[in-house]
Amino acid sequence: MALLEVKDLKMYYQTLRGQVKAVDSVSFEIEKGKALGIAGESGCGKSSMAITVLRLLPGNGHILGGEVRMDGLDLLSMSEEAFRKAIRWSRISMIFQGAMNALNPVHRVGNQIVEAILTHEDVSRQEAVDRARRLLDMVGISPRRFNDYPHEFSGGMKQRAVIAMALACNPDLVIADEPTTALDVMVQAQVLRAIQDLREKLALSMMLITHDLSVIAQTCDDVAIMYAGRIVEYGTATEVYKKPLHPYSMGLVSAFPNIAADKSPVRSVPGFPPNLVSPPEGCRFHPRCPLADDRCKTEEPASIEVGGNHHSVACHKVDVTAGGIDIWV
Amino acid sequence: MSGETVAAQAAVQSAPRRKRSGIADFWAQYRRRPYGLVGLVMLALYIAVALAAPLLTPYDPRKTEFFLADRLAAPIWARFVIPRFRNAPPTSRYTIHPDQWKVERQERASLSFEEAGDRGETAVIRFEPSSEGGGGARSELSWRVHYGFNPPNTFEGKVTYRVEAPPDAMTQLSLAIVDPEGKEYDIWGTAVYGEQDWTTAGLDSRDLQMKTRLNMTIFDDPAKVIFATKGDYRLVLKASSESPSAEARLFLAPAKFNILGILHGLLGADHMGSDLWAQLVYGARISLIIGISAAVIGVALGTTIGIISGFLGGPVDEFLMRVADVFLSVPTLPVLIILSAFLGKNMWNIVLLVAAFSWMGSSRVVRSQTLSLKERAFVEAAKAAGASDAYIMVVHILPNVLPLVVANMVLMMPVAILYEASLSFLGLGDPRIPTWGRMLQNARAFGAFTELAWWWLVPPGLAITLLSLSFTFIGNTVNEVLNPRYRERS
Amino acid sequence: MGFRTYLIRRIVYALIVLFVILTFNFAVFRLMPGDAEKMIIDPRFSPEARMALRKQFGLDDPPLVQYWKYITSLLRFDLGQSFATRRPVASELAERLPNTIVLFLTAFTLTMIIGTAVGVYAAQHRGTFAETFVTGAGLFTYAVPTFFFQLLLLMLFGYYIRIFPIHGTMSAPPPDGAFLRFLDRVHHLILPAGSNVIIGFGSWALYTRNTMLEALGQDYIITARAKGLPRRDILYHHALRSVLPPIVTLIFLSLPGLVTGAVITETIFSWHGVGRYLMDAVLQQDYPAAQGAFYLIALAVIISNFMADLVYGLVDPRIRVGAGERR
Repeated sequence: MALLEVKDLKMYYQTLRGQVKAVDSVSFEIEKGKALGIAGESGCGKSSMAITVLRLLPGNGHILGGEVRMDGLDLLSMSEEAFRKAIRWSRISMIFQGAMNALNPVHRVGNQIVEAILTHEDVSRQEAVDRARRLLDMVGISPRRFNDYPHEFSGGMKQRAVIAMALACNPDLVIADEPTTALDVMVQAQVLRAIQDLREKLALSMMLITHDLSVIAQTCDDVAIMYAGRIVEYGTATEVYKKPLHPYSMGLVSAFPNIAADKSPVRSVPGFPPNLVSPPEGCRFHPRCPLADDRCKTEEPASIEVGGNHHSVACHKVDVTAGGIDIWV
Repeated sequence: MSGETVAAQAAVQSAPRRKRSGIADFWAQYRRRPYGLVGLVMLALYIAVALAAPLLTPYDPRKTEFFLADRLAAPIWARFVIPRFRNAPPTSRYTIHPDQWKVERQERASLSFEEAGDRGETAVIRFEPSSEGGGGARSELSWRVHYGFNPPNTFEGKVTYRVEAPPDAMTQLSLAIVDPEGKEYDIWGTAVYGEQDWTTAGLDSRDLQMKTRLNMTIFDDPAKVIFATKGDYRLVLKASSESPSAEARLFLAPAKFNILGILHGLLGADHMGSDLWAQLVYGARISLIIGISAAVIGVALGTTIGIISGFLGGPVDEFLMRVADVFLSVPTLPVLIILSAFLGKNMWNIVLLVAAFSWMGSSRVVRSQTLSLKERAFVEAAKAAGASDAYIMVVHILPNVLPLVVANMVLMMPVAILYEASLSFLGLGDPRIPTWGRMLQNARAFGAFTELAWWWLVPPGLAITLLSLSFTFIGNTVNEVLNPRYRERS
Repeated sequence: MGFRTYLIRRIVYALIVLFVILTFNFAVFRLMPGDAEKMIIDPRFSPEARMALRKQFGLDDPPLVQYWKYITSLLRFDLGQSFATRRPVASELAERLPNTIVLFLTAFTLTMIIGTAVGVYAAQHRGTFAETFVTGAGLFTYAVPTFFFQLLLLMLFGYYIRIFPIHGTMSAPPPDGAFLRFLDRVHHLILPAGSNVIIGFGSWALYTRNTMLEALGQDYIITARAKGLPRRDILYHHALRSVLPPIVTLIFLSLPGLVTGAVITETIFSWHGVGRYLMDAVLQQDYPAAQGAFYLIALAVIISNFMADLVYGLVDPRIRVGAGERR
């Protein structure tokens, strides 16, 4: 049984202009010890999915269907209090997008880690402090800086402190939402290395959300490409990189030549993400797709498995894309 | 082509003059916001009232029009709302023309009418010369008036007369009121020896003279006593003359008799009997003028300082911002009190003072906007093309901070209005002009409280409140539309 | 920048403002057009006495010498003699200051407590009546002139329904017994202090609510929720604690407004305090009294501004522990 199982998950935001279908029938699994990368442009619903799993939705976000199971346990039907105590941080923790602001500026960094431990575990404060120091040490921050305030840390240090915090309660799953955005390239590399090391050392399961495919390439086993609230392609990272089958994935992959070369990953696929209040009929990608024909405009493609290794794709034109021609020239 | 023109053209092509072309665009966004519309409608109403002030009231509070009614008269509508005013009198004013006098009695005297130049028609009473032991000549005229209300507080009158008589003559003239039951009250009298040119004698029920004549104390109210019942009253004019040598003549011009109302106008009257509605309506003019001019001057000052500070940077910036800090740390109202006491109670002094202490906010906002504009390409381009600092500030920076400036200006107006109102309320306003603050001050100082005259207190206060509210609504809406990033939190 | 540097900066700044105020005072009261003498020496004195006083006050000295003498005497609280009462202004002010302090400490404390509590409550209960109430109260504060509201209360509760005294700080003669006297004081305090609280708490509550909501939308609050912290901890330990610096600063920054509001409140309720003293002095052209009262008010404002800076520095670790930036 997979550690995390997400099936047909639907989460819509209720806004004045109508329902924003941020997560629309999304399914995936994360095996124990594995890392799944979720890639897509900003606004495609990938961050919404992360906070749906942790049930941190804002007031206007509603889960309208599907299931989220962890070791078979239905996470969506649990009471808020039980979920808070049993799941948040102790089983699923999160590294937030823009970690610069994930630390409360008025509390000492160390205490913010200790607080997480004391909330979930029945240990003495001293034990919690000791563990927090060890965690800081583990991510490469001197334990002597336990009593520092966030503003005394550099960007990279803050991000590493947030990672340490995410590990505080030995979670089964860590969700990392854009862990490296807003950091400069050198620091990005350091942080990614730290994440990778920890993953190997602690056999962590991870869900990594990013718009930057190079990050996924470095750290993940599987990858899901998300477009307009849907997963359009799913497979092992190597396979999807080597042989992307969805025109959108192809666009994303072709836009990332080499990690070391430069950092201009996004905005390579021409056009703009659709409005999620009224997404396009048929295949949601058709307005931007060079291969689109009448069928793509009316009929929504189902996700079909292509080849082995669970590589699946939702596209009517798989026969064309499988041919390996570069459609984005 | 000069460097500056090149710079200008470079800038025209690249400057982000959003919203410049689109007043229509602005309006399209503005009108979708209900608060903004409410504010606009309210402001339009105020402006209409201010402009139409002379049409809305026959009185002009800038002139001294006292005792249009009794002091602290209540509004006319109080009759229907407040029991104690149910049958209170409104103001009644009578002009008694010479031919309206009815002859009651004449002894050796005769009444005729004649044209007396600019006085118009006058009544002439001719008294025959008094014979040996025959006694004087006398005449008694009366004028009837109906009174149907509760007793008034005050009546007043004017008698204009002239005596033509030989030097040894003595002519006496007196007025009495006869109540419906026939009781006579002798309210005024005079004696003329020989001749006297046109004279106007005023009589007033509040005067001690009349009270003494009526054997009353200063605490008694002749009006209340005399007009205690409803019915037909007679004003009786008695004239007599002892003129041994020749005929004496008494000329009477039209006389006046007024009963001052306890009810008056839409909002009653103040302690001087002046019309409060007129003060309220004209007050709208003053408040708008003061609010708008103080805000315009203050924000213009702030914008200038903000642009200079932000654009030039360095020590100039440091200095100007420290000055702004100091101004912000100074207790504004006490300073305004002290200064306006010294500079004299003048409306424009208040405008300038309020402006001088309200530029700091806009200068800070404009400065920070200027700082970011300074880095933009079109400014760099203009610089590269050799434009002078002053030119760049006026031509490139100013138009781009204008949206902020406009919103700031509108939001500044209620502040200025409140300052003016506070100063006027504290008795430091211009005494020659009617303002809402002064109305409140008068209400407090001259008995609105003891008389429970809330109609004196509430309208000016409400007027200030609603006017500042409408400016606030408009300002916030303008801000939301033009400067979404600087949106006011409140 | 460490806290020490920060502190020193703020002290220097406060001194500069004090200096500006003193200079302003000097300029207004001595250098105004017209005879400086009539601003300082009681015009009712005989010519000989006036001559003597001219000498004593040094009005014949060059301006700079006068300025120096003036500043040193103000710093020693030597404020001259009132024209109206012929008593030293300093001792007249000393009599009134406690009344002003009582009034404003009461109003201020209540405003702060009620405002913050209501604001926090409204931030927790979005979309309920509490929210509408707070927004309305905030708008009320903004638009209604304080003095108008106070006049209304005075008319309503002092004249229509006579449950509160209409003027003064206590009854004359005061009732017997310390407890009754205290109650009498409180009775007199209710309208002036209460009106300030009602006018003031709305903007407080609105500000608290807005900053709280802003804080609740911060990433670190989502982190705290993700960490599975109980609601209370998130609300108080994270959200409220992090908005404390701006709120505390605003508390102290609002002090000058209250101090200047003293003039109007005290005038309306005939409160025997410094603000009314200033007003009376100005209207009676009692210049030494006016400048003394103004000096005292300005001093109070400077001190409360400085306190705001100080407390802000203490509450915000970014300043207390350094590396902070000037606001």
